[in-house]
Amino acid sequence: MSFLIHRVRSTGPLISRIVAALFGGYALAALSSVAVLALPLSKPQAVLTGMLASFAIYAGAVIWVFAVRSALKAWAGLLIVAVPLLPLALSVS
Amino acid sequence: MNHLLPFALSLSGFTALAFAVRRQQRDVIGRPLRPTTTYVLRLAGACALLLALGILVAEKGWSIGLVLFSGHTSIAAGIVLCALIGQARMVR
Amino acid sequence: MSSLHTWAGLLLGWVLYAMFLTGTVSYFKDELSQWMRPELPRLSQIPDQAVVAQRVAVELGNIAPGTSQWSIRLPDERNNSVYAFWRTAPRNPGQRGFGEGNFDPATGQRVASRDTLGGEFFYRFHFQFHYMPVVWGRWLAGAAAMFMLVAIVSGVITHKKIFVDFFTFRWGKRQRSWLDAHNSLSVFGLPFHFMITYTGLVTLMALYMPWGEQAAFKTPAERQQLSAELSAFIQPGKPSGQKMPLASVADMVRQALERWGRDNVGRVTVVHPGDAAARVSVARGEAGRVSMSPQYMEFDGATGKLLMVRESVGPAAETRGVLYALHLGRFSDTEMRWLYFLVSFMGTAMVGTGLVMWTVKRRQKLPDPERPYFGFRLVERLNIASIAGLSIAMTAFLWANRLLPHPLESRADWEVHAFFIVWVLTLLHALVRPARSAWAEQLSAASALLFLLPLLNAFTTQRPLWQSLFEGDRVFAGIDMMCWALALLHAVLAIRTARQGAISQPALKPKRQAPIAVTSREGAG
Repeated sequence: MSFLIHRVRSTGPLISRIVAALFGGYALAALSSVAVLALPLSKPQAVLTGMLASFAIYAGAVIWVFAVRSALKAWAGLLIVAVPLLPLALSVS
Repeated sequence: MNHLLPFALSLSGFTALAFAVRRQQRDVIGRPLRPTTTYVLRLAGACALLLALGILVAEKGWSIGLVLFSGHTSIAAGIVLCALIGQARMVR
Repeated sequence: MSSLHTWAGLLLGWVLYAMFLTGTVSYFKDELSQWMRPELPRLSQIPDQAVVAQRVAVELGNIAPGTSQWSIRLPDERNNSVYAFWRTAPRNPGQRGFGEGNFDPATGQRVASRDTLGGEFFYRFHFQFHYMPVVWGRWLAGAAAMFMLVAIVSGVITHKKIFVDFFTFRWGKRQRSWLDAHNSLSVFGLPFHFMITYTGLVTLMALYMPWGEQAAFKTPAERQQLSAELSAFIQPGKPSGQKMPLASVADMVRQALERWGRDNVGRVTVVHPGDAAARVSVARGEAGRVSMSPQYMEFDGATGKLLMVRESVGPAAETRGVLYALHLGRFSDTEMRWLYFLVSFMGTAMVGTGLVMWTVKRRQKLPDPERPYFGFRLVERLNIASIAGLSIAMTAFLWANRLLPHPLESRADWEVHAFFIVWVLTLLHALVRPARSAWAEQLSAASALLFLLPLLNAFTTQRPLWQSLFEGDRVFAGIDMMCWALALLHAVLAIRTARQGAISQPALKPKRQAPIAVTSREGAG
């Protein structure tokens, strides 16, 4: 039982980071690609801008997740960026 | 359009820049060069690269010129880097 | 961060290598297609595009009457046939059906040459693979591209000093050539690698990030607003039902040629040909402008009247057009195309050396080199089949093109099957043979197949190398000679691998000191 706990303890943060990177990163990129519609651009241009920038955001999020000291910080960072974008995204969709 | 001149300029530009670095001077020539020489090499290298860019943009316009410049400099940098590696291995 | 680089590179590394190699080759896909259709004579000059367009338009009217849309790509410097596709009744409900074919510009009829996908196979494989739904393939390609992007960024961060010490990239005295090669290839091609990866994602960004589009556009009309910024395709609206013959396509193309210059029309698309509501769009060719954003002239299909000219799009759309163009490189003339090819080839080598480097580094840390752990063995064998094996498979594809009888039912498909069958065989070979021998054997096999290909060509077609050289047929001569150049490359690699295999066994003990030097340097860098 303690072996199991030990395994979870040692690989848990890594798995958490992988999840944050793969899915959290994508979610953040997707969110920003919708939030961008709130900018004062014509709709087609805004949509395209959102798409174009999304990969940079995704890559940036992945790097962030693995650059910070703890898995907790990784998630926190993603959430902090997501929080202001969420109302923007909801307002335009 | 003659690609030879811009390429030759890129190649000599990177070579000059490479020799403006102390490490290269020590490894290849054997001793560090005088500061003035280093400065001149750096200047000459940068000028050669800018000249290459200028020629390409003048002949082909900005968009294609920039793409060509990127291609020429990538290959030229690669050749200089490989030559340095080769030289280091031979000395070993 | 360096583990991120290693894992990001390794997990989909084999997929990336295949994408890179097929992508590199695709820069010459049109030339390859010509080589794979040797019955079609080379065009010493580009035929009048207006006349060709009319010919093929008439033929399509015969082949596909009542189709809602057809599109033709006109011949140019690199293409000696006309590629056309048209909408047909869908095979499965909900899907779009379409037919396609290559047409002879001189007669307007389908080409009388062997049925083959030509260079298009490598091109399509590059971003959607094969034997799987197109969308899955594109998602896999996109995932691989994201991994690559992360690998590039993490690679740069791991070697922050790259930009400070560009030329003083130093390595331990005992490290092997793979490490030198991977590092130097990554560094000097960095602008290209980063550009090609990001722009690759951009080409399919509507698939990967549809959310903005879905949130912003609720009606098809609104969505049209967006598509108009992206391509010259006119959506087929409702046909009027009133039959009227298509006006002279040749005249429309001539107007376009006047506007954009000789031989500079790329594509002609017609919706509802033969109907009163027909529309024709004549799009500009790709040469000379670094952008794929739509530039086209729209005509009334029944009367031939010019309705509108579209020559600019919004800034974001133009940015996307430029990025798309940078990836495809279709604006290139011959010299630029060769630059693209060479630097892309370096990128391929970068991915390959990275994969090999993983096993080289890990082998030194193995507690028992004779019995490596499963993960190591897996990577080692996959490397062999994915790198050396891919060369063999791609060459086998060309061999199949020359050897398969024609006519043959589904001949084009069989060429592709040959590619995959051979590739699987290389995997089996890699699993069965000891790793070091497998490398040398496969690289030698690739070398032999590449070397013999021009000879095979001489024996099975009317276009042997000496004739191509004599006639100044750059395409055929170029490809034949490229085969020999690649054969030489593979031979050199085979010899080096065989030699390293012989030396490295007794040298394993002293080399154990090298990893410490490596890791401490990486830690510092």
